[in-house]
Amino acid sequence: MTLFTQQLFNGVALGGVYCLAAIGLTLVFGVLRIPNLAHGSLYMLGAYVTYFFLTTVGVPYVAAIGIAALILFVLGVLLERLVFHPLRNSPHTHHMIAAIGAMFFFQAVAQAIWGADFRRMETPISGSVHILGAEISAQRIVIIVTAVVVLSLLTWFIKRSIHGQTIEAIEQDRTGAALVGINPAMVSMLTLGLSALLVTIAAGLVSPINLLSPTMGDSLNLKVFAIIILGGLGSLPGAIVGSFALAIAETMTSTYISSAVGEAVAFIVLVAVLAIKPTGLFAKAVQR
Amino acid sequence: MSALKNPRIIGTLAVLLIIALTPVAFGDENYIMRVITVGLCSAIAVYGMNIILGFTGQLSLAQGGFFGIGAYAVGLLTTDFDWSFWQAFLVGVVGTSAIGYLSGLIALRTKDEYFAIFTMAIGFIIYLTISRWEAVTHAHSGVNNVKFPEAGDIVDFSNPTAMFYLVFIILLICVYITYAIRRSSVGRTLLTIRTSEDLADAIGVNVGLSKQLAFAASAFFGGIGGGLYASVVGFIGPDAATVDKTFEFLMFILVGGMGTVAGPLVGTMIVTFLFELFQDFQAYRFIVLGPIIIALVIFAPRGIVGYLGGFIDKRARKRRIGSAHKDGAARSQGTAQAGGTATKDDSVRADKSANSDGSTRAGAAERRETTADTITTDDEEK
Amino acid sequence: MTSIPRRASRPVLAAAVISTFALTLGACGGGGGSGDSGGDGSVVIGYTGPLSGGGAAYGENVQTGLQMAVDDLNKDGLEVDGKKVTIELKSLDDKYAPSTAASNAQRLADQDKAPVVVSPNAGAIKAIQQINNGRSKFMISAYTSDPAIVQSDNPLTMMIPPNFESYAKPFTEQGMKNGGKKLALLGTQSEYGQQWTKAITDEWKKADGKIGADNSIDYATVSDFAGPVSKALSEKPDSIFVGGPSQPTALIMEEAKKQGFKGSFLVMDQAKLDEMATVTKPKNLTNSVGVLPVKEYDDPGTKGFLKKFAEVAGEKKVATSETALNYQSIAIIAKAMEVAGTTSDPEKIRAAVPDALSKVDDKYKVNGFPTKITDQGHLMNPDLEVTYLDKDEKYTKVPVEQVSDAK
Repeated sequence: MTLFTQQLFNGVALGGVYCLAAIGLTLVFGVLRIPNLAHGSLYMLGAYVTYFFLTTVGVPYVAAIGIAALILFVLGVLLERLVFHPLRNSPHTHHMIAAIGAMFFFQAVAQAIWGADFRRMETPISGSVHILGAEISAQRIVIIVTAVVVLSLLTWFIKRSIHGQTIEAIEQDRTGAALVGINPAMVSMLTLGLSALLVTIAAGLVSPINLLSPTMGDSLNLKVFAIIILGGLGSLPGAIVGSFALAIAETMTSTYISSAVGEAVAFIVLVAVLAIKPTGLFAKAVQR
Repeated sequence: MSALKNPRIIGTLAVLLIIALTPVAFGDENYIMRVITVGLCSAIAVYGMNIILGFTGQLSLAQGGFFGIGAYAVGLLTTDFDWSFWQAFLVGVVGTSAIGYLSGLIALRTKDEYFAIFTMAIGFIIYLTISRWEAVTHAHSGVNNVKFPEAGDIVDFSNPTAMFYLVFIILLICVYITYAIRRSSVGRTLLTIRTSEDLADAIGVNVGLSKQLAFAASAFFGGIGGGLYASVVGFIGPDAATVDKTFEFLMFILVGGMGTVAGPLVGTMIVTFLFELFQDFQAYRFIVLGPIIIALVIFAPRGIVGYLGGFIDKRARKRRIGSAHKDGAARSQGTAQAGGTATKDDSVRADKSANSDGSTRAGAAERRETTADTITTDDEEK
Repeated sequence: MTSIPRRASRPVLAAAVISTFALTLGACGGGGGSGDSGGDGSVVIGYTGPLSGGGAAYGENVQTGLQMAVDDLNKDGLEVDGKKVTIELKSLDDKYAPSTAASNAQRLADQDKAPVVVSPNAGAIKAIQQINNGRSKFMISAYTSDPAIVQSDNPLTMMIPPNFESYAKPFTEQGMKNGGKKLALLGTQSEYGQQWTKAITDEWKKADGKIGADNSIDYATVSDFAGPVSKALSEKPDSIFVGGPSQPTALIMEEAKKQGFKGSFLVMDQAKLDEMATVTKPKNLTNSVGVLPVKEYDDPGTKGFLKKFAEVAGEKKVATSETALNYQSIAIIAKAMEVAGTTSDPEKIRAAVPDALSKVDDKYKVNGFPTKITDQGHLMNPDLEVTYLDKDEKYTKVPVEQVSDAK
C-alpha cells in the first residue's frame, strides 16, 4: 500500500512534468497546425539558459527561470518568423523536416557552448514531505503546483485577455479571424513565443530532478506528442488529462508489470485510444 | 519511342545510368561503394514512403519501423535459424507487408496529424520491441554475421560490386513499380485521394481499401529495403528501426521531391553524401546542416526533382506557345489547358494523357491540387 | 497569394540546388584524392565514436585521451623504419549507430589510409569487424569490456579494457559483505547494462543470494528517477546494482539514499565514482563497490597524465578510464609501429604489439598498464583492482581474479 501511494505521488509529479512540457506544444498545434518537433530542443535550450543565469551569472533561481523564459520567448518568435512563417502554405511534412533541422541546429549549438557533459542544476528548494507514508520531495511539489498555476493562468489568458482571445479565435477559424481584423502572422509569433516560454518554465523546474544534456529533450519529445494526440490536438484540458493519465499509467505499469512495458505504455495507450476514438479524447471540431 | 523525348524520363534514366556506372569509377573504393549501396537500400524504403505520402498524401511515420522489421527478419532468420538469405528475405518482406496491412487497419481510421503521430507511435513500438525483447532480437547486442545472398557459384555477393548491382536491380524494379503505379488507374485513384478524400469518395473510389493497399505497399518496400540493408552491412542493431530513421527517409523524399519517380533516389543520394561530406566537422556539422535542411525545405519545397520538373514544364510550355501558331487548334487547346492548371502552383502538368485516355476524373482532381508538388507527367502517347 | 515569395525565391533556390550538387560532386571527387598520408612522414589514426547525440560526452572523453596521446607522441618524436613520422588523429562522428561507425571506419581506412581505427562501442566494433579483415585491412583498437568482440577471433582486433565479467565476483563478495543477501537490479537498459545485469545475477545466485525483479530502466530517457527507485526499494533490498553513465547513476544513488536506503551499492564500471561526485555529495555515494578511479592508480605515469589532463580539459573535469586507457593504448600502437617498422601494414603492427608492450615509455603507463596480450587480442593487466568506497569516503582497493574471455 505504501508503495502504491508512493508511486501515485511519483506519477502525479511526473504528470506535472509532462503537463508543463505538453501545453506549449498543444497550443502551437492548435494555432499553427504544425507538429513542432523542435519543441524538445526548446525545452533543452530553456534548461541551459536557466542554468547559465543561475550558475554562471548567479541570479536567484526564480529570476533565472524568468529571464530564460523571456529569452526563449524571443527565440520562439524568431523560430516562427524565420522557419515556420515561410512554410505557412506548405504541407506538414515540410514543417516536420524544418523542425528537425532546427532541432539538429539547437542541439549542436548547445553542445558547442556547454559541452556534451551532463550538468546538474542545483536549486534552493530542498527537503521533502511525508504524506500518507509516501515521501515526496519539495521540488516535485513545486512542479505540480506550478503546473496547476501556469495552466490556470494560461486558461485565463486565452479566455480573458485580448491577445489570448486572438489565439483562440485563430484556433477556431483562421479565415474568420482574419476577416475580423486579427493578424494571423502576429498570433502565430505570439503562440510560438508563448510555447517556448512555457516550456522554459517546465525545463527550469524539472531539470533539477534530472540532468542537463544537449539531448535531454529527445526522450520527452515523443511522449509529449503522444500526450497531446491522446488528449486531442489543440485541446488544453486534453493535454492536462493526457499528461496525468499517461504519467500515472507509466509509473504504475513500471511498478507492477515491468519497466519495459512502462516505457511503451504511453504509446500502447495512444494506439488503443485512437483505435476506438480516432480524434483523441477531447477532440475539437477538426477544421482545415 | 516517344518516351525518350520526355525530359523527365530522360532525366530519370540519366540518374539511374550514373548510379549504375559508379562501380566502374569507384569499384575499388570500398567506402564509396558502401555508402552508395546502403543509400540504395534506404532509397527503396523511401520509394515506399513515396507511395503512401507522395501519391496518397498520408504522412506515415512508421517507415523506419518497417525497415527495421525487414532488417531483423533477414538478420535473425539467417543467423539464429540458419535459413538461406532468399528464404529469409521472402518471409521478411511478406511479413513486413502483412504487419503493414494489419496496422493500417487501425491506423487509417485516423486522419491528418493523428495519422502521422499514430504511425509514429507504431514505429516507436516496433523500435521498443526490437530494442527490448532480448530473448528474440538480442536487444542492443544486435545481430552479427548476417548472410550474403546465395547464388550458387555464379556470383559472389560478398563482393561489394556484386552486392551493389543486386540492390540496384531490385531498386530498378521498385522504380518501375512506382512508375507503373503512377501511370495506372490505381495511381490516379491514389492521387485523387490525396487531392480530396471526400471527392474521391463521392466519385465512387473505395478510399479505405485504396489507402490500405498503399500503406501495405509502403511497408512492402520498407521490408525490401531493410532486408537488403541487413545483408549489406552484415551487422544490425536497434538503430536500424528508430524513429530517427523515419525522419531521415522523410528528409530524403522531401529533398528529392515527393510524388516524383526519380525524387526518392536523387534525394537519398544527395542528402547521404551531404551528410558524409560534413563528417569532417564532427559534432559541429549540424550547426551547418540544420540550416541547410531548413533552407532546402523553404526554398525548394517541391524537392530537387520537382524543381527541375517544373523548370522542364515551363520550357515546354514556352516552346508550345511559340509553335502553337503553326501547329493548329488541337495543340494550342492543350497548351491553354496546361496554362490553366498553373494558376495555383507552378507545377504544371500538361494533362494530355488525362484527356486522351478519358480518365477525366483524375485529371480534374489533379487540377485541384493545392499542395506544391509535382507529378511526373505521363506525357507520351502509347 | 503566395506567388510573390515564390518568385523571389527562384534565384535563391537555383543557387541552393546548384551548390548542393556541387558539394555532392565535391564529396565524390574529393573522395579519391585525399589518401595522401600513406608512408611519407605521417600516419592517420582513425577514430569513430559518438561525438553528438546522447553518447557525446563518452565519445569526447575517449577522443580527449587519443588526442593527448597523439600530441605527446608527436612531441617525443616517433621514428619508424628510419623515418620521422607524425601521427594525426582523425575523428568522425557515428552518433552511436553501428552501421554509421562501420562506414566511418571504412572511410578512415580507405581515404585516410588509417592502419588503426579506434571505436568505443561493442555494437560498432562488431559491425566494423565485418569489414576490417577482407578487402580492406585495418586494426581495430576496441574500447569495450564486452568479451564477445574477441570471441569472434578477428585477428586484427585489440581489446583494451578488462573483461567486465571479471568484476562480477568481487562485486558480489563486497556487496554481500557490506550489504546483505538480497539484491535489487536497477542498472541501465543499454546493451552493456543488460550484460552486466545478467553477469551480476548469475554470480549473485551462485553465492546463494536472493534477487528481486529486473528493474532496469533506460537512464537516458527516464524523466524522473523517483518512481523506479521507489519500486526497487519496495523489495527491501540489502544491496542495489546500479550503473550507466556516471551522472544519472549518481542521481539514482542520491534518490535511493533520500528514500531511506541504508545498504550497499554495486556500481557498474561505466559509472566512475569520482566523476559521480561532481553532481552529488560524496556521502550519497558511500558504501559502494566500483571500479578504481584513475587518480587512485599508482602507475608511473598517472601523476603526469592527470596534470596534463587538467591543462587540456580544465580543473573541474575528472579524468576517467575512458580517457586514460585510450591514452595508453595509442602509445602501445605507436610503439608497435616502431617495432614493426611500418605505419601501413596493420597485420605487422598487430603482430608487434606483444613486443611493444614492454618497450612503452613509463610516462604512458597511467591506468593499470597491460603486460601481455592474449592470443585473441585482449590486453591484460595482471593486477586488476576494484575499489570499495566506505562510509568515511575512503577508497579501499580489492584485487580481482580475472576470468577467461572464452565463451
